[in-house]
Amino acid sequence: MVFNSIEFLIFLPIVVLLFYVLPQKLRWVMLLAASCVFYMWFVPKYILILLVTIVIDFSAGVLMENYADQPKLKKTFLVISIVSTLLVLMIFKYLNFLTANLSLLCAQLGIEKRWVTNIILPIGLSFHTFQSMSYVIEVYRGHQKAERHFGYYSLYVMFFPQLVTGPIERPGNLLRQLHEKKAFDYDNISKGMRLIIYGFFIKMVVADHLGAYVDKVYAEPSAYNSWSVMLAMAFYSFQIYCDFFGYSTIALGSAKLMGFDISDNFRTPYLAKSIAEFWHRWHISLSTWFRDYVYIPLGGSRVKFGRWTFNILVVFVLSGIWHGAAWTFLFWGFAHGLLHIVEKALRNRFPEKEMQSKWLSVSIDALRIAKTFVLVTLFWVMFRATDFSNMKDMFVAVVSNFGGGESLGVKPEMWLYLGLFILSDLLLFNTRFDRWCDNKPMALRWCIYGLLVFLTVACSSVNSFPFIYFQF
Amino acid sequence: MKKLLIRIVMASALLFVLNWIYTKWFYKKDVAKHSDILELVWQVEADSCRIVYLGESSNNTCGVEETGRKKISEYLAEYFPTMKTGDMTKEASHAQTYYYLLKNLSKKSTVETVVVTMNLRSFDARWIYSNLETPLRKQLVLMEDYPPFMNRLLLALKAYPIRSEEELDSLTRQHWREDPLVFPYEFEWDNVYQWDSAMAWRGLSNYEGQYDAKWTELACHYIKSYGFQIRDNNPRLKDFDDIVALSSKRGWHLVFNLMAENVDKANAYVGKDLMYLMKQNHDYLVNRYGHLEGVTLVDNLNLVRDVNFIDQDWTTEHYYEEGRRIIASQVAEAIKAYYPDDYREQALPCDAGHYFFGDEVRDLNAAVPYGPSLTLSGDSLPADWERVNVAFMMQQADTLHETNLVVQLVNPDGSAESRYYPPQCMKVGAWDFSTYDLSVDSAMRAAQQVKIFVCNPSESAVQVKRMDVSFRPAYLKPGVKARSSR
Repeated sequence: MVFNSIEFLIFLPIVVLLFYVLPQKLRWVMLLAASCVFYMWFVPKYILILLVTIVIDFSAGVLMENYADQPKLKKTFLVISIVSTLLVLMIFKYLNFLTANLSLLCAQLGIEKRWVTNIILPIGLSFHTFQSMSYVIEVYRGHQKAERHFGYYSLYVMFFPQLVTGPIERPGNLLRQLHEKKAFDYDNISKGMRLIIYGFFIKMVVADHLGAYVDKVYAEPSAYNSWSVMLAMAFYSFQIYCDFFGYSTIALGSAKLMGFDISDNFRTPYLAKSIAEFWHRWHISLSTWFRDYVYIPLGGSRVKFGRWTFNILVVFVLSGIWHGAAWTFLFWGFAHGLLHIVEKALRNRFPEKEMQSKWLSVSIDALRIAKTFVLVTLFWVMFRATDFSNMKDMFVAVVSNFGGGESLGVKPEMWLYLGLFILSDLLLFNTRFDRWCDNKPMALRWCIYGLLVFLTVACSSVNSFPFIYFQF
Repeated sequence: MKKLLIRIVMASALLFVLNWIYTKWFYKKDVAKHSDILELVWQVEADSCRIVYLGESSNNTCGVEETGRKKISEYLAEYFPTMKTGDMTKEASHAQTYYYLLKNLSKKSTVETVVVTMNLRSFDARWIYSNLETPLRKQLVLMEDYPPFMNRLLLALKAYPIRSEEELDSLTRQHWREDPLVFPYEFEWDNVYQWDSAMAWRGLSNYEGQYDAKWTELACHYIKSYGFQIRDNNPRLKDFDDIVALSSKRGWHLVFNLMAENVDKANAYVGKDLMYLMKQNHDYLVNRYGHLEGVTLVDNLNLVRDVNFIDQDWTTEHYYEEGRRIIASQVAEAIKAYYPDDYREQALPCDAGHYFFGDEVRDLNAAVPYGPSLTLSGDSLPADWERVNVAFMMQQADTLHETNLVVQLVNPDGSAESRYYPPQCMKVGAWDFSTYDLSVDSAMRAAQQVKIFVCNPSESAVQVKRMDVSFRPAYLKPGVKARSSR
């Protein structure tokens, strides 16, 4: 089930109502059943894959705790759990990519051997496998007590608001909350509704309208003039942000309706002054996952520069590959890693000096923000392009089509929607829409709700744009 | 909880206001952008039409070189010059579309009679799972019964079936594989899939007796388009039923206009098995809707000859002017009963090479064995009249008669040669039609006289009507009507 569907708008109130009506001891059953329905709405059989991961990681958690005094055995359970989870990910996400590349390599070497696999990626696989892995790692490290209740553990992995595109929750946050008794609180309902309305606005009005322009240009870059191609690149930066941020915000709101606080995934990422800061603000649950479970175990920053460079590249390349099984994603991750290293090297070589003039300081910050935005936007081309050839066409069109080509013909209302979003994003700098509304007068709040609802309903795109991160 | 209830009331008030704003300033723009068919309804209302014709591309498709480019509905309007006749035409539409359009006609509208196109192919899997279905269904969302703001929300949430081309293709193929074909006699294939594959494998020969890939492909199209049996769970039936119910509620005269199909080609390319299915489906519809109170079913199924079909390389209901006029005249005849004073007879022009003998019923038996006869001299047949399609309707009381279509050639020396073609009518006690695709050969051209007639010399009587003879070139081009001198 997707959030922007009539089914979800019927499903959610029913679930919330049942949640508050049912006694605490039955709530997990209802939430788990609802999550199953939510997931099975896509392709029912894929729930079996989820079940396999859940059973393995649940068992691993219990066994690791039971054999806590035998480190080798404990580690074995961890390895079995992680390997099997990664194996599932490998088969369903990367096997097509591997066989296609192997066949290509064989062809290059003149070997007459072809492997063709056509496995369809179950929706949200990368998200729930990572969430599951975070649980076993936390139990292994002793930061988390193993969950002994299979139902609660299943619900932790399958909790429907964040099941298919995150945020990737840690057991310390979500699993704990699932056990807590949640009493009805108007404030939760109010905040949840605010987040949902805002999420719908940025997904359905901003992201989906932008998507139409972006798709046109990426389908045939050479047909458009340089300015239009650049505009499409910039539009994609906002499309993917609004799309993912919108989904995450709706997820946050849906959980909030039942009193659950799930993690923020974004914090005004395009106001980042460096790539490092961008990753502190973009897809935070994934960045912190890689930080805690890959980067720090590799030694983090407390190593020599060379080793640190290696650590960073590993993390970013893995992050790229996590997004999708394609070379373009790998290079996207690599490019981010490389830039991160370059920025760090430059900072080491030219340490920041305190500015005397406030205006100068602000101007330099603005330039840094602009620089980061431009670079991130250029990197998004790798992410969005269907392949290297498409990516090349985009860059070629940027530099060669100044003289001719079609104009993108952006409608005035598009600028209005985008402008409204940028304004709201600036206003929400380091805060969240529900919290931002808290201290506003009621009349203003309701005017904002009215405007958002109106725009979402009357101005949303009628074209079908699935959530971008569904493919991961 | 009290706070929540107050907020719910406030939210309801807010939604009410938003709906008002949307309806006042945004709705019409959205309709123009996303649901332009609703504008057709508004136009019919604005024009104060009393008769409204609902159709798909069959209503407004014309041949490339045609000078008379009027729609069927416009020809129909000529029969009722004192009344306003409007149309709601949308390509690929079907009963569900028509239902939504009619549902949206205001209760204050002046419409009294609705003519609804009933297209046989629209009951078929290929149309039900057509890739035009998604855009069509999208158009209907703004026409739901909810307030406009709610409808817009449904549109925003894509509350209509969205299926990819692959999905639709797979559903169609599944239907072809799983929908059984049931014949009252032994039939080689269990379903359309097998039948179509066999046709593709065996191939079809053209008039020269050579394998013809294009003919084979077209024969396969005919099998896939008409090789189905309407069952009670066909989704179109529900929509037509809804139209009947709505029409009865609103007090309209309802006319179902069962469109003509290219039965000549279906028979020539595929043969009696396909004709059986077409006739069976036709009978199903006639039985289901033809006898309802307030409903008239105009049966055009076999009234348009091959030469009048625009698309010669596909299965459509696109007719040249003569075909469109034939359909219009049939509908006008049905409506005439409601508006006898407004009805004005129109001359029905007949194309060169086309001879129609009308609706008069002739009893043929041993005493009066000959039906209406077309007589031409062999040398008057133009060179481009290479084939002749003959059709007629027959009602038989039993199967003991000896009825045949006869082509009689009277030679200059006075000798005569008669060629007999048995009828393909299977029904007893009901009207049924036969169609033939015959060659205009050198013997025919050399004959002093060529007579084409139906003959029954037996004691067992039959009734015959609507004999229809249409000469044409051997190969018809799509989109360009064959021209002949009379």
